[in-house]
Amino acid sequence: MAQPAHPHAMAPSRPGRTRTAPPMKPGTWPTSPRYLTYLAFDFTGLVYLLVGLVALRAAWALGSGPEAWARLQAQFANPLYVAFHALTLAAVIFVGVRFFRLFPKAQPARIGPAKPPPRPVLHAMLYAAWIGITAGLVAVLGGIIP
Amino acid sequence: MNEHRKKTFVVTRFDPDKDQVPKTQTYEIPVRPEWKVLDALNFIKDEVDATLSHRWSCRMAVCGSCGMMVNGEPKLTCSTALSDYGDVVEISPLSNFPVIRDLVVEMDGFMEKFKSVKPWIIRAKEKAPEEGTYRQSPEELDAFKQFSMCINCMLCYAACPVVAQEPDFLGPAAAALGHRYNMDSRDEGADERNQVFRGDGTIFGCSYANECSEVCPKNVDPAAAINQAKLLAVVDWAKGLVLPHKGGK
Repeated sequence: MAQPAHPHAMAPSRPGRTRTAPPMKPGTWPTSPRYLTYLAFDFTGLVYLLVGLVALRAAWALGSGPEAWARLQAQFANPLYVAFHALTLAAVIFVGVRFFRLFPKAQPARIGPAKPPPRPVLHAMLYAAWIGITAGLVAVLGGIIP
Repeated sequence: MNEHRKKTFVVTRFDPDKDQVPKTQTYEIPVRPEWKVLDALNFIKDEVDATLSHRWSCRMAVCGSCGMMVNGEPKLTCSTALSDYGDVVEISPLSNFPVIRDLVVEMDGFMEKFKSVKPWIIRAKEKAPEEGTYRQSPEELDAFKQFSMCINCMLCYAACPVVAQEPDFLGPAAAALGHRYNMDSRDEGADERNQVFRGDGTIFGCSYANECSEVCPKNVDPAAAINQAKLLAVVDWAKGLVLPHKGGK
């Protein structure tokens, strides 16, 4: 069932002489896989907001001394926190893949004399940078690189 | 007539003189296997109900007149095969547009957005005719050719979630057209258009849902155009901070 769009969506600045029926959104949106994927992409913003709050809490615990930090680490072992961090990982991968799929075509054909590389090359560079930076962070945080 | 089967069409009707809100009317008609959705609408109009109003013209996916929602998806009805659908086909006017009558939508808002991006070549100083034409290399043409293939069918507006919510949003086709001229090597009006692009609610409202590009019947890829235009509008603004008489005003 189609839902109403904004009542002034695509309306002219001055109403015409003919009375019009209000604009409606596409009726397929609630069930369209494409649109649901887009909504899921938007939903990840909420996940990142919560991650930001958790990061602030971690920073506060870190500044409050070793005991507060130890308490927070213990709380992080709670299954709810583990599930939240798993959701965050899924959200990051989902957004990364979606972003990398759409990013290359958003590059202008040229900015002045500079031209971007072909899209497959740009794709490969993006994934290489993502995987490389992630591996580097894991190596540093895991103590492999001091 | 080489009839094969009957299909039921659930068509949105709206008479501004009688109806407060749109309603649906059902038609069961014989269809031929090679028919497009527009053929069925024309059959209804010609043989069943002459009061049905819909727009169409070229029947070859060039004029962009016959855009409608077919089973909830924006489609050019002249190039959408009936055989792709089941026994019941729902046809309604383009979403996100006010409806004038039946399947005909109000286009004036769209035309205002179009005009706002100055979709013509702007020159600081025109050449005299005897000085010849403005030359362009194939490479320079490639920079914008894809975005010049738009037929103004408005399917991208019907598919865009931002258009549905933000009346001031410039929208896919107009932004793609503005970007098309900004990328044209013969044009010198990018500063003017980038000021439009940087205005409230114009291209930066795009959340890159990419629906416009998914439904575009000519593969124009307006989502790419908008996001390229965003980057170039910011570059132009940044140049305006350091260079006199450039962008960013």
